[in-house]
Amino acid sequence: MPRKLAAVATVYRKYSHAQHIVDRFLDGYGWNGAYHHPLFELAGLYVDQIGEDDLSKERAQRHPTLRLYPAIHDALTLGTGKLAVDGVMLVGEHGNYPKTEKGQVQYPRYQFFQQIVEVYRSSGKSVPLFNDKHLSWNWGWAKEMYDTSRAMNFAFMAGSSLPVTSRIPEFEMPLGAAIREAVCVCYGGVDSYDFHGLESIQCLVERRKGGESGVKWLQAFRGDSFWNAMQQGVWPRDLVQAALCRSHTLTSPRAGFNDVMPTFEQMRVIVKEPVAYTYEHHDGLRCTMLLMDGLVRDFNFAARLDNPSRVVSTQLYLPMPDGRTTLANFFSPLAYNMEQLYATGRSPYPIERTLLTTGLTAAGVDSLYDSGARQETPHLAIRYQPPKESTFERT
Amino acid sequence: MLTRRDFLGYAAALPLASATQKTPVRLAVITTVYRYLSHGQHMGDRFLVGYPYAGEWHQPNVKIVSLYVDQKPENDRSAQRASEFGFRVYPSIAEALCGGGNKLACDAVLIIAEHGDYPTNDKGQTLYPRYEFFQQCVAVFRSSGRSVPVYNDKHLSYSFEKARSMVRVSKEMGFPMLGGSSLPVTWRLPDVEMPLGAHIEDAVMVGTGGSDAMDFHALEALQCMVERRNGGETGVKAVQMLTGGAVWTALADGTISKELLSAALSRSDTPLGLTEKDGRVQDLMADGLLPSLAKNPAAYLIEYRDGLRATMLMLSGAIRDFNFAARVRGAGLISTQFLLTPEPNVTYSACLVHKIEEMFTTGRAPYPIERTLLTSGVLESCLDSKKQNSVRLETPALAVAYQPPAKSQRCTL
Repeated sequence: MPRKLAAVATVYRKYSHAQHIVDRFLDGYGWNGAYHHPLFELAGLYVDQIGEDDLSKERAQRHPTLRLYPAIHDALTLGTGKLAVDGVMLVGEHGNYPKTEKGQVQYPRYQFFQQIVEVYRSSGKSVPLFNDKHLSWNWGWAKEMYDTSRAMNFAFMAGSSLPVTSRIPEFEMPLGAAIREAVCVCYGGVDSYDFHGLESIQCLVERRKGGESGVKWLQAFRGDSFWNAMQQGVWPRDLVQAALCRSHTLTSPRAGFNDVMPTFEQMRVIVKEPVAYTYEHHDGLRCTMLLMDGLVRDFNFAARLDNPSRVVSTQLYLPMPDGRTTLANFFSPLAYNMEQLYATGRSPYPIERTLLTTGLTAAGVDSLYDSGARQETPHLAIRYQPPKESTFERT
Repeated sequence: MLTRRDFLGYAAALPLASATQKTPVRLAVITTVYRYLSHGQHMGDRFLVGYPYAGEWHQPNVKIVSLYVDQKPENDRSAQRASEFGFRVYPSIAEALCGGGNKLACDAVLIIAEHGDYPTNDKGQTLYPRYEFFQQCVAVFRSSGRSVPVYNDKHLSYSFEKARSMVRVSKEMGFPMLGGSSLPVTWRLPDVEMPLGAHIEDAVMVGTGGSDAMDFHALEALQCMVERRNGGETGVKAVQMLTGGAVWTALADGTISKELLSAALSRSDTPLGLTEKDGRVQDLMADGLLPSLAKNPAAYLIEYRDGLRATMLMLSGAIRDFNFAARVRGAGLISTQFLLTPEPNVTYSACLVHKIEEMFTTGRAPYPIERTLLTSGVLESCLDSKKQNSVRLETPALAVAYQPPAKSQRCTL
């Protein structure tokens, strides 16, 4: 009998995260040169918002072992009243939810989590849990989710697909590297793709000498303050350039030319609403996540290393189904790592990474809301060691 | 084997290498058309504005000194480029190579005869004048008593006979020559190479396209992998091109390996059909699925002289990318996607331009022109087979033997 899983999702429509992730457990996916079927049975599914474009009914019809339930409790107990699955995935991304006054979408990940652990409690048994993207838009709730997982002692995995997707080129940060500064130049919006950019940086810099020491402060920049900061070297322009040299989607500043590196002045014209989060770790490492929407449509990392002194860079590859591809295959390595979570009862990489990036995302939102004021982040003194094994896709 | 003549040719080009530190290589560009996103533009421009390479914006030590453009449609960019970057557009190839004088006045030639309005033949090939452009360049080399490296974009010619004479001339006159597609040198997902000396038992390439244009890219990607097998390349004994239902029959009866096709398709990021409709993942090998998606399939069956059989499948309608799989004795299955990055940047062409630049600045082609010669011939012979109702054609002329470069030429940087 295959082990059973339950999925708890906000919405299940084409190209929603639940569709990408849950579909891979139902239909399989290309992995390591073969079409791979996970050895789990997706048995229970709860979908919070069922609109006209819902696909969950179609999936349940095509997969008779899958049942849809009207409540999270039922999806986890499969209607038996007691926890009846060996693992849970919480995918609280996409769907219509109100925004906070700071512009954060209030995806109910914390509320879903609470209902999941309530079943664990009442059943006297906990099983591994995956939470898609950051833990919560609300730092206090995120910390509570983390603490609960520790107190109840269940394997908790979370985060973005960026850390585990392919890289072009296949660069991994050497374990114990002396990293002086790092950037990620990417695209998208606040409380959304900023999280992916932060996870892109974090999965690489956490491998530095001493491991992760936590973050002391963060400051966000947008509009003119972004350009002024860039001109003044608040973050290293040469690393921004190195990251841009990894992009496959650099917007040409000139009509009729398809691939040209824009000048600083040309970037100012191309990028209408730039956003940067600069932050300092406790061991002195400085990192900057730059959302340069309009300039690129990919995620590009660069860092300056010592001993020997050099710049390293790579693209964390998202084959986006926005015309570039049809299948968001960056979810395949995420699904594969989720399988490891469910199979071994251990997360392949530490939840503290995502706890930290959750806090950085919230601090970025706070700084922007606070007119770009620097945010001290004593609550982000999160120390952890990276996994020794690299977990990004290269098979 | 390096003949004395080859050696003299390379030696003649060597002073170039030491000179490049200071003096830029003077490049003549010969192209069919220079419009936005034509090969002439996106490759030619890289020598003007630089290109991304190995994490830096690389400015080649190469200066375009002259340009010949065969066709100037309304959206022609050649005059603008010439005026901005300080070179001249000449009305003939000879004048471009001689910079308006009567003697060769450049250090390298870039021939890009892809795109533009040219007739097609009854095999469906576009008659791009690559051979004709090359002949005019060689005439200048002869009259000037000096030869320089030549890059020829894509296949050498639609005609293997013409292609073969181009390679013969380059050997006789002793100038380095590079040709072909960007697929062999682009990034691979995952980043794998065929082990040198591998005992390849079977190989499959699957891609998308019609005939002649994209098919060449896919065939050359296949060739750059299988040429690394034990003994190196021996040439092709026979080819057969199947179309329509015969492709599915060949898959059903084992002529084409389902195992390898499945492995190659598992690398695709572009399954079509229901994936486009509702985002779902699909095992394209499921019963009846491929025939329902790929309405006009084609299979290029290639028998090599050492016994290897390889297949290139064009499954337009099923996928939109290029994926390879091989079964290697002792190593199992090897599979990967040859990554074609999106328009308009087409950054994979920067990988190719870097190889071209390497030849221009060192006087040595990083990989053998025989690969492109053989691929040009395989493509033409397959189209002949198609025209003759998919008959198996013996191809004694394709006994093109060569050794692959020991160093992998894929982009890993």
